[in-house]
Amino acid sequence: MTSAYRTAVSDALASGWSFAGLHATRAGASVRTALVHPDGRVRLETVDVHDGRVPSIVDLAPAAGWDEREAADLYGVGFDGHEPLRPLVDHDLDLGHWTVPVSGRDAYQVAVGPIHAGVIESGHFRFHVVGDRILYLDARLFYKHRGLERAAEGQSLAGGLAYAGRACAACAVSSSVAYAQACEDALGLDSPPALARARTLLLELERVWNHLNDVAAACSGVGLAAGSTTFAALTEEARRVNQALTGHRFAFGTIEVGGSRLSLDPPTVAEARRALGGIRSGAERGWRELSFNGSFVDRLADIGIVDAADARRLGTVGPAARAAGLREDVRVTSRRLAYDGFAAVVPERAPGDVQARIEQRVLELRQSFELLETLLATPFAPSSAERAGAEADIGVGRVESPRGATLCVVERTGDRLDRLRLRTGSYANWPSVAAAAAGDLLPDFPLINKSFELCYACADR
Amino acid sequence: MLTLLRDLRTLRRRLALPAPGRGRSLAIRHVDAGSCNGCEHELTAAAGPHYDLQRFGFGVVASPRHADVLLVTGAVTTRMHGPLLTAYAAMPEPRRVVALGDCALGCGMLGLPSELVGRVEDVLPVDLRVPGCPPTPEAIQAALLAVCDGSV
Repeated sequence: MTSAYRTAVSDALASGWSFAGLHATRAGASVRTALVHPDGRVRLETVDVHDGRVPSIVDLAPAAGWDEREAADLYGVGFDGHEPLRPLVDHDLDLGHWTVPVSGRDAYQVAVGPIHAGVIESGHFRFHVVGDRILYLDARLFYKHRGLERAAEGQSLAGGLAYAGRACAACAVSSSVAYAQACEDALGLDSPPALARARTLLLELERVWNHLNDVAAACSGVGLAAGSTTFAALTEEARRVNQALTGHRFAFGTIEVGGSRLSLDPPTVAEARRALGGIRSGAERGWRELSFNGSFVDRLADIGIVDAADARRLGTVGPAARAAGLREDVRVTSRRLAYDGFAAVVPERAPGDVQARIEQRVLELRQSFELLETLLATPFAPSSAERAGAEADIGVGRVESPRGATLCVVERTGDRLDRLRLRTGSYANWPSVAAAAAGDLLPDFPLINKSFELCYACADR
Repeated sequence: MLTLLRDLRTLRRRLALPAPGRGRSLAIRHVDAGSCNGCEHELTAAAGPHYDLQRFGFGVVASPRHADVLLVTGAVTTRMHGPLLTAYAAMPEPRRVVALGDCALGCGMLGLPSELVGRVEDVLPVDLRVPGCPPTPEAIQAALLAVCDGSV
């Protein structure tokens, strides 16, 4: 199974590059693997499809598992060496075809979803259990698959933005910025400081409400109403800041390709600073109470573990990876955004369990409030991207969403999109949720799941 | 925890939400038929302390068997079509269907025609339409009150 493609990927991985995504190009003509360097550079290794097949890299980069299965389902590409190549997006009715066979004395399955018992997105979990102990979890998502990537093909670059941004409300800003940067990368445009600053503001506002919401969700997972209500109230107040600054509670429609129309006068930024200061002290106060609450804290430690070795193997990103001690954050190398001097944080105790993931959110909230305090010190004016280099047919954008690294690849002919690939932090982390659940108790799964708090919408697209 | 409970009581006083002028209630079953998760976040917010749907006796229930209202979000995907109909079939009469958000109403839906069945009303009898992308918690609350008042 030697091929130039596999050798290139293998050599890159051996010299410090990491797997960042894989996709089939339009009509399944070729397959591209995105690799990211610790300094933030992204490169693509391409292999042409012959007789409907390419060599798999899943043995070199297990994190490519979902990407290859998706390319097989949607673009009909076969992957030599990826055995068994289970359906991912395709919903095959034959249970044996898509679940991992688990057998043994007293082993049975608990099927949950696609409809869940609350206000929750749709997705199916099949737990293989003995008693309450989870042996294995098959997560079957893509119930919400809308075909957004393929529907974007043929759109203009500006028109394609909606397909990336509206994939998911919780990550709308992150996905939109990743898309805009991918287009600007292809167009040979760079972000001047004013544009970088406007986008960074919106990204951090998105992170704040998401992280507050994640702490509320963790409290719900424990059944602690006072905690979840407190952090739900703070989430609401953060969304009202979004409304005041952008005219939309999720900042829909505020990111554009090639520029920013965000215009905020001094009284508006001052008021936002004041409001965020209140949210910040409320979050600190709420967290202090939670961290001294035995019935909350006792539920969090030593469950749902994705340790550093697991995280590297599975390609875990974002707070979940940092909670395992991996000091990786796209913001550190986001040259096109206003993160000068930013350093990734990891918790003091970082075994990659539920506790570490919740504490990681609290650490990151502090960072985001600091960043926002600085960003909102001065008003915002409209700005445009500037010519910086040559045009290309392919552009890449990579952004740290609240869930982790989001990669967007744009392939184009002139102003027409040939291919849009959006690989969000949620997509990257779903396999980690399944790995985290194995070995733990079924009643702990809601809490383990909420400690990741991934979106289904942007994974399914 | 006492501090948090005290804070929440203070918040409640500050918000001074009016007491409900009615004695009826609704049990709501939410089904996400293919949303972007925006409607879910706003529905959750409507149940939060700033809007407090519960003061009207509204609650999200865990089973369609217990529900008066089926609240559907998102354009209906081919894969959620079956589960959506199953949930509706499991509901006792009288039952009402609320289509929540622009996608559910078929406005500006994004996606491949082959992956989408269409609007909620293409597959279920819709009693109330709540526009918005996503609808605000206030709009969600007003819509549910209209169902409760019997005007729907």
